This record gives sequence, C-alpha cells and structure tokens, in this order.
Amino acid sequence: MKPLALNLALALLALALFLASLAVGPAELGLSESVRGLFAGGGEAASIIMREIRLPRALLGLGIGFTLGMAGAVLQGFLRNPLAEPGIIGVSAMAAFGAVAVFYSGLAGAALYALPAGALAGALAAVLILMALAARNGSTLTLILAGVALSSLAGALTALVLNLSPNPFASYEIIFWLLGSLKDRSIEHVWLALPLMAAGWLLIALSARAIDALSLGEEAAASLGIHLARTRFLIVAGVALGVGAATAVAGTIGFVGLVVPHLVRPLTTRMPSRLLLPAGLGGAALLLAADVAVRLVLPAGELNVGVLTALIGAPFFLWLVVRARREVF
Amino acid sequence: MSERGTPLKTAQSLDRAPSCQAITPPPKRGRWPAGRKGVFHGRKRASLLFSLLLAGAALALPAHAEPPARVMSLNVCTDQLAMALAAPGQLVSVSFLARDPDLSPLHREAERYPVNRGMAEDVFLARPDLVLTGTYTLHNTTQLLKRLGFRVEEFSFVQTLDTIPRDIRRMGALLGREGEAEAMAADFEAGLAEVEADSCEPRPTALAYEQNGVALGKGTLADTVLTAAGFRNLATEEGVEGMAPFPLELVVEKKPDIVIVPGGDGDAPSLGAFVPRHPALRALPATRIGAFVPRGSWSCGGPAVLEAVKALHALRREIAPCRKAP
Repeated sequence: MKPLALNLALALLALALFLASLAVGPAELGLSESVRGLFAGGGEAASIIMREIRLPRALLGLGIGFTLGMAGAVLQGFLRNPLAEPGIIGVSAMAAFGAVAVFYSGLAGAALYALPAGALAGALAAVLILMALAARNGSTLTLILAGVALSSLAGALTALVLNLSPNPFASYEIIFWLLGSLKDRSIEHVWLALPLMAAGWLLIALSARAIDALSLGEEAAASLGIHLARTRFLIVAGVALGVGAATAVAGTIGFVGLVVPHLVRPLTTRMPSRLLLPAGLGGAALLLAADVAVRLVLPAGELNVGVLTALIGAPFFLWLVVRARREVF
Repeated sequence: MSERGTPLKTAQSLDRAPSCQAITPPPKRGRWPAGRKGVFHGRKRASLLFSLLLAGAALALPAHAEPPARVMSLNVCTDQLAMALAAPGQLVSVSFLARDPDLSPLHREAERYPVNRGMAEDVFLARPDLVLTGTYTLHNTTQLLKRLGFRVEEFSFVQTLDTIPRDIRRMGALLGREGEAEAMAADFEAGLAEVEADSCEPRPTALAYEQNGVALGKGTLADTVLTAAGFRNLATEEGVEGMAPFPLELVVEKKPDIVIVPGGDGDAPSLGAFVPRHPALRALPATRIGAFVPRGSWSCGGPAVLEAVKALHALRREIAPCRKAP
C-alpha cells in the first residue's frame, strides 16, 4: 500500500470515529441538533453538552490514541523489540504513579497541573531505567521482564499512595489509574495534555531517520553518521512527554501501542520511520473506537476504556509471544 | 474517573475493611454479682440452688439493668448520636472518620475522644460493654464481635428524615439517656414540622451531585431533605434509586435549578471531586451551583440534618417565592 494512501485511509477512519465519539452519549441529541450545538455556542443544553463534554472527550481520545500508537511504533523500532509498548514496559504505570504521588499528596493543592507534572517525571524515570537496561543487554526478554517489574512496582506504589490519602474517596480511584478512562474530562484536560503530547510527537518525528539507520544495528548506524546519544534523547523525551501527558489525564490505557504497530506494519514498507504516522493514526482510531464502545455497552455507568483495550490487546500479546518463540524476530 | 465499579459511598458506609487476624476469644470476665461469696455458708441445698439460679439469671442479663459504662462506636453516623447523647466518660472511642469535617457534624467534639479504625482488634483491646455500628459496613467485624461475646447494636445505614427521631430515641435507650434523647428527638420533630408547614408551590428542581458524578435519588436522606425543604429531586424524578451515577450530560440536559455539590475538599484532593465542578455545569446559565448545606450536615442521619433542611428551605424561598393563593 502506498504510504500516502495508507495514511489517508487511516486518517479518514480516525476522523469517522472522532465524529462517532461526538455523536455518542447519554443525552439523546439528534444529528442536526449536535452539529448546531457544536458550532453555535451559547447556553443551550445541546451546545454545552457538545462543546464542554463530548468535544474534550473526543479530542483526548484522538490525541491519546495517536500518542500511544506512535510511542509503541518508535519503541518497537528503536529497541528492536516486537513486544515494546508504553503499557507493557511500565512507562504508563510509572507515569500513573508519578501523577498519583504528586496529586494526592496535596503538594499542589487540588490543582490539575499537578497531574502532568508528576506523570512526566514518572514516565521519564521509567524510560531512563529501561533504556539503561536495554543498552547494556539488548535481549527482548530483559526489557519485558524489567517492564513487568516496573509495572508491578508502580501499581503497588500507586495503591499505597491512594490508600494513605486521608480522603476516603481516593482509594477507589485506583481503578481509574490502572484501567484508564476518558469519562467526564473537560476542555481544561485537553489544554493540559495536548500541547505536551504534541511536543512528544515532534521529538519522536525528529528521530525518524535515526531509527531507520538503527535497524541496521548501532555500529552501522553510527557509521552512517547517526548521533546515537541525540537519538536516544529524542526518543526518551518524546515518549516521556507523550505518554506522561496521556496518562496524566486518562490513566493507564494499555495495549494500544502494542497492537496498532503490528496491525499496520504489514501495510508499510517496514521501515520504522514509515510506521510512525500510520501507527499514530491507527492508535487514534483504535482508542476512539474503544471509547465509543464502552459508552454503548454500559451507557449509564460506563466501563473503563482500559478494560476494552486489554481485552483486545492481551490475547494479541500472547499470540505475539507464541509467534516470537517460533521465529527469530 | 467515575467508574461503574466505583463503590458508591455514603458517609454511613465509610469504614475500612476489617482485618480479622490474630483474634483470640476474650477470657471469661467476672460477671458474678457482688456478695456471692456468702452463698455457700451453711445454707440449705434448695437455697443454694436458688442462689445459683439467680446468679445464672444475672449472668444472662448483663448490662441491661444499668447503662453500659464503656461504649465504643465504630461508624461515623453512630458516632454522631453517641457523642450527642452519651454521659461524660461513657463513650470510650469513636471512629476515625468522626474527625472529618466533611462527614461528621460533631468533628470538633470528636477531637476529645480517642479514635478507632473500626477493627475487631480495636474493640477487643478496649473491652467495651456496648459496641455501636452500622448494618452496612464492617459486616465481618460485626459477626466476629458477636461471636466473641461482645454486645453489638447495629443502626441501619438507610437513613431518612423519618428514621432520625427513631434512631435518636433508640440510642438514648441504649445509653440509658432516655430523657436527653427524648428532648433531642422532640426538638428535631418540631423543627422539621415548622419547615414542612411552610411548603408551597412552585417547587424548584434540585440535584445533589456527589463525587464522581453520583446522584442521591429515591430512598436517600438527601432526597427526603430536599422534599422537606420544598424542592423536587431531579435524580428521583429521573428514576435514580439510592445512590447511582448520573451522567453529566443528563444534568446539562435537564437543567436543574440548583446543583448541590460537596463543599471544600480540604487538603486531600481526589479526582472524583472534579466531576461536580465540571465546566459544563458552570456553563448552565440559570443553574445555581454550590454547597448550600452546612459542611457535613447531611452526611449522617442525626440532629444536624435539620440545619441542612433549614438552609435549603431558606434557599428555596429565595429562588422561588411562594405563589400567592388564588
């Protein structure tokens, strides 16, 4: 498939699901009513529902899905590891722990900006730890095991902080941090997360040429004039910014970054750099679809969107593990 | 952030799960009446038997004859009634939540008492004559304590305006403070009757919107308070039973006249607190949003609920003055 055609097709798919996300919700708004509400403004119920509730949710689904898909693609390319993904290698879990530690301790009052601040720090720590491990020992197994350890540790610490909070409601928010949700977000969350995620996309995009060269091995890449330290910095910072910001506002949403690159890769030239944009668009489409589905399955209460992505992603992960045992990746 | 699996909590149900490890049955306590030593001195067999029977009767009926000397409360709602009614020195500890100003109207008084975490071990160490708790929470603890021979009195966590005077009188009877309880219950009933006598049309709509977008519907204390104060409860009209998630979109669509949100979240933030403060609610032009009721006043069925009724009644008169009779 031509790259342009692929990107266009995925962009259209993501757009269609974005519109579907705008159309789904407990308030039954007709099509014309919702379109008018979206563009008219004012104090009408339809307008408030569209602009203050559904639009932020759809925008976050788009942005977070894009981030997770792209982060999965760049990590798989850079680490040359088919199982690499922000959720599995513990970046999301560490980001969630960072956000929880800063927010619930009340250090910043009840300010929302405490969430991304903590999440970025947590994600950064995770990526640095993993890179240090992967640089010394490049095996698939080391990275995944380190990720498992990091995820469990971060999950346990998250639970600990939430249980220590004097606010009796806090301990029940662990489900949000472990399984993610886009429910009841506001435009404030969009302003908080989207610029950071966009910065992450930019940094990852700047590393594109380098990860292509790296698919030939580090020495070959260095001989091609690739600055390894710079590449590593771009990817570490890009993934930490993107995944940190995404997790800060939506909790841990797993497996999007794992599934999408694998689904899209056969349609590309298999150059890691050519995968970044399609994986991002595919990730956006997948997360938006999952978020529409959780609203349709349980309209009032709503499922956590991370439940759905795990239901899709975990069997896929197992299948990858089985396949990886059969062939050398 | 508001998940379907999130347990819907009322102050009544807020307790920590008990840990049941390392409990051994308490040693038998001496409950023989004083003076029993005289029983065996040269009396006839029948008399001896009779005395034994009497002693047995005394053993079977502990504490009822006189008020319990050591009372322990494990639930934030029984805490309120116990602190209000107990004699000095009678109440040995209250739950740790009793010091939380958002849940406990008598949080200042609670500073004077030691607090417990509602664990069976706490009770075991304190050796109270009477344990007060809620029916809903700490169910395992309650069973365990009963098996260990403690006297446990449970108060229903389903509370409405109707149950409050009844609970006050029951607490008075349990603590041997019937007179105080009767006065308190009568005050409550009189205050409530005064407000209810002033009800009139039109009745504005109200929504009690809690953390995580949970609404208080039919059968809740808040529902009866709203009705008594002259409001229609939007959640009840939309078919909400008890506490249930109420989608933000529906709040916007139905445009209630007032939305009652939790007051300040103190110094311990939670994400759930952002839902009732969502910008979509603030964008509703004609809806008034605020705490409106005194902090913690309607989290438990106790005398403080009358403050909530009065505050909401005043608000109702302000936003929707009574229509003149035709």
